Amino acid sequence: MNKQMAEYIQANNTEIIARWQKLMAKENNNQSFQTMPTDLMNQTSKEFADLMVSNLLESHQAYENRLNDFAEKVVRLGWTMTVVTKAIDHFSEVVFEGMEEDGLITQENFRGFFKEFNNWIIPIRDSTVEAYSKTWERTVSLQKIALQELSASLIPVFEKVSVMPLVGTIDTERARLIMENLLDGVVKHRAEVVLLDITGVPVVDTMVAHHIIQAADAVRLVGAKCMLVGIRPEIAQTIVTLGINLNEFTTTSTLQRGVAQALAWTNRKIVEVDEQ
Amino acid sequence: MNFRIPILKLRDTLIVSIQWELDDQTAIQFQEDLLNKLHETSARGVVIDLTSVDFIDSFIAKVLGDVISMSSLMGARVVITGIQPAVAITLIELGIRLEDVMTALDLENGLDKLQLELEA
Repeated sequence: MNKQMAEYIQANNTEIIARWQKLMAKENNNQSFQTMPTDLMNQTSKEFADLMVSNLLESHQAYENRLNDFAEKVVRLGWTMTVVTKAIDHFSEVVFEGMEEDGLITQENFRGFFKEFNNWIIPIRDSTVEAYSKTWERTVSLQKIALQELSASLIPVFEKVSVMPLVGTIDTERARLIMENLLDGVVKHRAEVVLLDITGVPVVDTMVAHHIIQAADAVRLVGAKCMLVGIRPEIAQTIVTLGINLNEFTTTSTLQRGVAQALAWTNRKIVEVDEQ
Repeated sequence: MNFRIPILKLRDTLIVSIQWELDDQTAIQFQEDLLNKLHETSARGVVIDLTSVDFIDSFIAKVLGDVISMSSLMGARVVITGIQPAVAITLIELGIRLEDVMTALDLENGLDKLQLELEA
């Protein structure tokens, strides 16, 4: 039966693809499909059809390779997972209908073919979804690494004074990273004052404030002082409205004033040099 | 096994370096020894160095907090120095904030801080 199916698909390749494309075009939420150039579309469809047949004919290994290539390509083209599973459904639908019309599937062997179709389609769908999610997972993890590299580095600006600029939303995982980097940096750079600059943090809610307070407490324990700088007007409003108590902290509006204060704590100050 | 933590006197300061993980018994013993020593020497400052301590549990943290309060009752200021980042994170996560405790990066900074505090 497998062979029969494969032969039928190969013989009626163009017709099947045409019908399948028509069905796919009907899917109204399928913009990527409609905006694709025709030749690319045709080529991809052909590849898709080949992939479907290869599962029937070729060895498992060859099929796997082909599937991975295809999944990667599809992800690059921006097809959603819904579209791909739809495409598989429609393809089997078209083939089934076509074979029925040609009289290959009759009342008697219907049950057998039905089973055969299931055996054919379900593994394809499973492995497509798997290949798809693997590709996505890889993308996401790469992005995560990129984000981690960007976030939370402690910069020694003067002797005994370091600054950590925070940019972007702070979640629990990032807060942990911030705290670790902050404490390790304090010990490494022998900082006495650390300035946490939250100019680039879009939202300060109770959770973010909690993380900041914890980090500042930990900094105090290792023997340095922590100052919160870069508090924008709207952040000041949120903090007071939410009833967050930052009284134990020294806070200033700008990094500049923070640095001046930090220098004062370490018995230094910035003086202007007289022009000769 | 019951180690006693050595307490050294340097002018009017007592210096304690904790070199291994404290068990509960040793911690209590240390509390007594330190207070006795304070009484004997009438020192005005104490520096407790925790550089080689990798772990502090809530009981030890409580004992440390107690020792600090008791010492200040006896008229001595206490500075804790060299708390490791990992230890600081554990303490914060346990909710032990050791408020009103002076801390410093290392022994040297701690002695400087204590000197400033005592002069003031």
